[in-house]
Parts: sequence; structure tokens; C-alpha cells
Amino acid sequence: MKIESLKFEDVSFTHEGHEIIMKNVEFDFPMNEVLWIKAEEGAGKSSLLQVLAGLQIPQSGKYLINGENILDMSFEEFMPYRLQIGYTFDYGGLINNRSLFDNLMLPLLYHKILSPDEAQKRVLEIFAEFGIEKFMSERPAHVPGRVRKLGCLMRALVMRPQMLLLDDPSVGLGQDSIYTLVDHLHKYRKDGAFQHVFISSYDEKFMSHFEYQIVHLDEGQLYFQAVDPEKRVVHL
Amino acid sequence: MIVLWARIDSLGRFVTQNTEYTLRILMMVYLSIRAALQDKTQGLRQIINVVLTQIYFTGWQALPLISVLALGVGGLVVLQALSNLSFFGGAQMIGNFLVVMVLREAGPLLVALVVIARSGTAVASEVGNMRANREIEALESMGINPLSYIVFPRVVGGILSVLALSFYFNIIALMGGFFLTQLLHDLPLAFYLDSLVRALEPEDALVFFLKNGFSGMIIFVVSCYQGLSVKRSPHEVPQVTTQAVVHSIIFVVAFNLFVSAVFYLNQLRSLGVI
Repeated sequence: MKIESLKFEDVSFTHEGHEIIMKNVEFDFPMNEVLWIKAEEGAGKSSLLQVLAGLQIPQSGKYLINGENILDMSFEEFMPYRLQIGYTFDYGGLINNRSLFDNLMLPLLYHKILSPDEAQKRVLEIFAEFGIEKFMSERPAHVPGRVRKLGCLMRALVMRPQMLLLDDPSVGLGQDSIYTLVDHLHKYRKDGAFQHVFISSYDEKFMSHFEYQIVHLDEGQLYFQAVDPEKRVVHL
Repeated sequence: MIVLWARIDSLGRFVTQNTEYTLRILMMVYLSIRAALQDKTQGLRQIINVVLTQIYFTGWQALPLISVLALGVGGLVVLQALSNLSFFGGAQMIGNFLVVMVLREAGPLLVALVVIARSGTAVASEVGNMRANREIEALESMGINPLSYIVFPRVVGGILSVLALSFYFNIIALMGGFFLTQLLHDLPLAFYLDSLVRALEPEDALVFFLKNGFSGMIIFVVSCYQGLSVKRSPHEVPQVTTQAVVHSIIFVVAFNLFVSAVFYLNQLRSLGVI
């Protein structure tokens, strides 16, 4: 299932008992881009990414993928889209009673995307690429925070989805890991994966590795924010 | 008058809240079964693995505790039955007394209480921690339905475990209790077994499966529901675990009472009393 368009129609979203995150938002997301989602602390960047991933359901409005309102879909009906959306958490998210290796194998084997041998080969490759092979038999609680964060990122990357949602991906990573991540994203974008990348981050240095557009979440609305050729924000 | 209205309001709230809770639980049972049936990718092997793990933790590991409890209850009930029935000259009724006390009433309830204490709390806190650690969200993001992956196999494993534990409890309570009382009374084994067999009715099998099967389902559905009700923070986990215990006990006791009431009303009806 190819993702060709993403659109919010009159979308409103809030967490119960909290301030409104999106209010009657109309927004057509540009495709085949790296989108930098920006907002003030606590304004709802993570929630926006979760809505885009189909993990949170807006209280009203329509979220259209390829013109279909996914909010009307059952878990099973949304599955073809779900498998093309990779989501990484800002913290947590690894299955604690499985090793890092099994965490990465889980989605590949569960959906029979690859044969067990092919899945193992792909998982071993990405562990080697990020240089954390020695931790792959450990459970998440037994590894350093940096490795946990990488494990969560790698689990989304290993599926090679069309749409990738990264929530604060650079936080807690070393510089080497950041370079590896950036190289990985560029490499597979050229090969057809990670076509639509959404990154929520405060890390301008990390974002400077990408050709991006900025989407700003402010007072419940989404705006495009212009970027000058040297990646400096010039105006709202 | 105001006090009366306040009482009625409070009663109304209580009924509404409990009805809503029960409906939510029933909805989760339906959704879990539906998710498991519709999930083409999960595969039987995946479900069986989790079911077997649940049976190991809930059934196998509870055997020592159930053994001690069954021996104690069996010994006490057989001893009391022998002493009191012999006093009234009705020793041949010992089978009827034991079937009523152990098989129909005490067995299902005690086993359910042990399972609530051991496994209901474990499941509620496990699922609650998964929620707090965002593992449930992670499963959803990977296209794995938590209802078919987490809830359904645990409920199936729980039901099978409670049925097996209850069967084991009955055997140990009835036979172990008999051998324990041999230290004090000289009761012939043939007489004891004959009395038990005569007391058993076909309806006892129905009561056994109804009470134990539904108790297993109630405990694990309520525990999973409470675990999944954690919003974000780990501090909610002990709270939902306590609620899982309280709600499970209330539902299990109410269901056992209901089945017993229907069973005895049916017996009275067949005897022509009502």
C-alpha cells in the first residue's frame, strides 16, 4: 500500500483534562519530504506524531490517507497503512521481556514480512551498522540508555516503512550514533524507503543534516514555516 | 427527605457505574475474541506459546499452594462431616456433604481466590507496567493488536488453568482429606468412595465447568482490563492491581452465588417444592 497523501480535515485533539493540542486543523502534509515538527515544550509534538501514526484518535475531524478517513477504520482495516508507518518513541517502547534482537525480529516475523533467515540477516546487519551487536542478546533493562534508544529507533528502521515518525530521535544518542542514523536514513531514502519523514526535535545540529521543511504547531494550529537556504528560520 | 434523595442518587450512581464497568468488561471479552479470530498474522503457534506460558505460571506454579489448601480443607471437611454426621447417625450421607461443600461451593471459590491473589495481581501489574512503559503503544505501532496478542491468550490460559487447578483441588481435597482423617477415624475406603459416587450428579459437571470456567475468564479479563486502564504513569500500577483484586473477588463471588442459586432452585423445582 503506497502512501500518496496525508491530510487533516477539521481535526481536533486533546488529552482528557489537558489543554487543546489541535483545534479544527486543516492541513495537507507535503509528501516525499523530511518535515521538522516544531512547537514549544509541551505543546503536543509527540501527540501530533502519535495521531499521524494512528496511535491516538482525534476527538473530531478526519485524518485522510490517500483520501480514506483512517479514523473510521478498524485495527485490521488500517493494517496495510500501519505496516508502512514506522514510529519511534522519545522514551520507552521496547518490549521488556524480550531481548533487543527479539524486539527487532518481532514485527518482521509477526507479519511474515521476511522469512526467518532473511529477517535475522537484516536485523544482524542493522545491529552491526549501529555497532551495538554485543547488547543484542540483552533485555532492555540491562543495557545503557543510549542502546535502548537505538534499539527503539532500529525497530522502526528495520521495517523500512514509507513513512517514518521520529520523536526526539537524537536525544540520548552519541555523535557517532547520530551520524550512523543520518547515513542510514539518507541511504534508504535513496532506495525508496522512508519517503515521508516526520521528525520532532529541538536539535538544530541534528536537523542540519537534512533538507527539511518546517511544520510549526502553535496554539492548536499547524503552520508551514519558511526556511532560508542556510537552514535558518526566517519568519513564521 | 434530602437524605433520602441523596441515598437514591448514590444508589443510582453505584448501579450505573457497576453496569458500565460490567459492559466494558464484556466488550473487552468480545473484542479480544474478535481480534484473535480476525488476526490472520498472529498464528496459532504464537497464541499457544503465550497460553502455555500462562498455564505454567497460573496452573503449574500454583500446585504446591493448592495442594496445601486442598489437604487442609479436605481434612477439615471430612473430619467435621464424620464427627457430626455420625453423631446424627447419618454417616452414609458423607458423600453428599462433601460433594456440596468441596465440589460445588468451597472448591471453585478457594481456587479462584488463590488465582486472583497469585495470577490476577501478576497479570494486572504486568499489563499495567507494559502500558506505563509504552509497550502496548509499541505493539500497536508494529501492527500487533494487544487484545489478540496480550489479552486473548492470557484469558484462555487462565480459564484452562483454573479448570485444571479446580479439578486437582477436588481430587486432593477428597482423597487427601480421607487419608488424613484415617489418623483419627477408621472409615473404609470402599464405603467412602461409594458414598461419593452416589452423591455425584450429572449437573455437578455443569456446575464445575460453569463456575470454574467463568471464574477463570472473569479474573483474567478484569486483570487485563485494569492493567490496560493505566494511562501513563507507573504510580497507577499498584492502584489498578488493587482494583483488579477487588473487582475480581466481587464478580467471582457474585457469579458463584448466582450459579448456586440457579442450581438449587432447579433442584427444588425438580422435587416439586416450587
